[in-house]
Amino acid sequence: MDTSLAIQEPFDLIRLSLSERVFVKLRGDRELTGVLHAYDGHMNLILSDVEETIMIIDQHEGTTGEQHTIAKRKMDMLFVRGDGVILVSPPSR
Amino acid sequence: MLIFSVFKTLTDQQVTVELKNDLSITGTLKSVDQFLNIRLDNIKVLDEARHPHMMAVKNCFIRGSVVRYVQLPPSGVDTQLLEDATRREHVSQAKR
Amino acid sequence: MDESPPPPQPSETSPPPPPPQASTGSPTDFLKGVVGKRVVVRLTSGVDYKGILSCLDGYMNIALEQTEEHVNGTVTNRYGDAFIRGNNVLYISAAEPV
Repeated sequence: MDTSLAIQEPFDLIRLSLSERVFVKLRGDRELTGVLHAYDGHMNLILSDVEETIMIIDQHEGTTGEQHTIAKRKMDMLFVRGDGVILVSPPSR
Repeated sequence: MLIFSVFKTLTDQQVTVELKNDLSITGTLKSVDQFLNIRLDNIKVLDEARHPHMMAVKNCFIRGSVVRYVQLPPSGVDTQLLEDATRREHVSQAKR
Repeated sequence: MDESPPPPQPSETSPPPPPPQASTGSPTDFLKGVVGKRVVVRLTSGVDYKGILSCLDGYMNIALEQTEEHVNGTVTNRYGDAFIRGNNVLYISAAEPV
């Protein structure tokens, strides 16, 4: 399905994702997936059935490189403040 | 404006506000304004051991800009209504 | 003061307009020119997004198609469509001739 013709401004992409599961990348090495129910011009979001993934980078002394610890948690209904949003991606179609 | 309205409909309900400094506060939503500043009553901090200075605090005002998330009561949110309202608000923005 | 300063000389002494170049045009012209083209969007965090620029708005909110996320030169994610919030954008670079 080609959505490119329907998109004139970036927010159209988000509008087409209402009631669909979206991927959200946030500041602070956090990512969410959840069903999008509302947004506004600040990219404030309301999502349901949310899973949050937090990447924690541990620095171990004496070892080369860094290790990622991944923490996950689920939330039923979540408001996300827009200023933390980096990227929103609809489900791949 | 839409999300402000959502918060207004949730007044007197239980919410959990997670701040950008990782402090999580659960309490009764007493009021909200257009900046999404939030007043909470009967508050409880999630990890009290890590934030002992919060133990005696019973209510608080949270500046909107320091909020990362607010966990909402799912029963208080009509998702279909929200999606329709979001589409309408989007149209009105586009016409502006 | 009796004497007012002399009026500016007629145009024969003013510098000629610069010759037209391929790179002339305002930033807005550049952005209009790259819509629909392959671009690299670099965020202030240093992460690059390479994809086809669907559209953008005055806040530099960006919609990209067929997007690859590059961190330190390696692909870390792929998205069919991606919306990037404008405040994170450092620059948009054309990845093919405009």
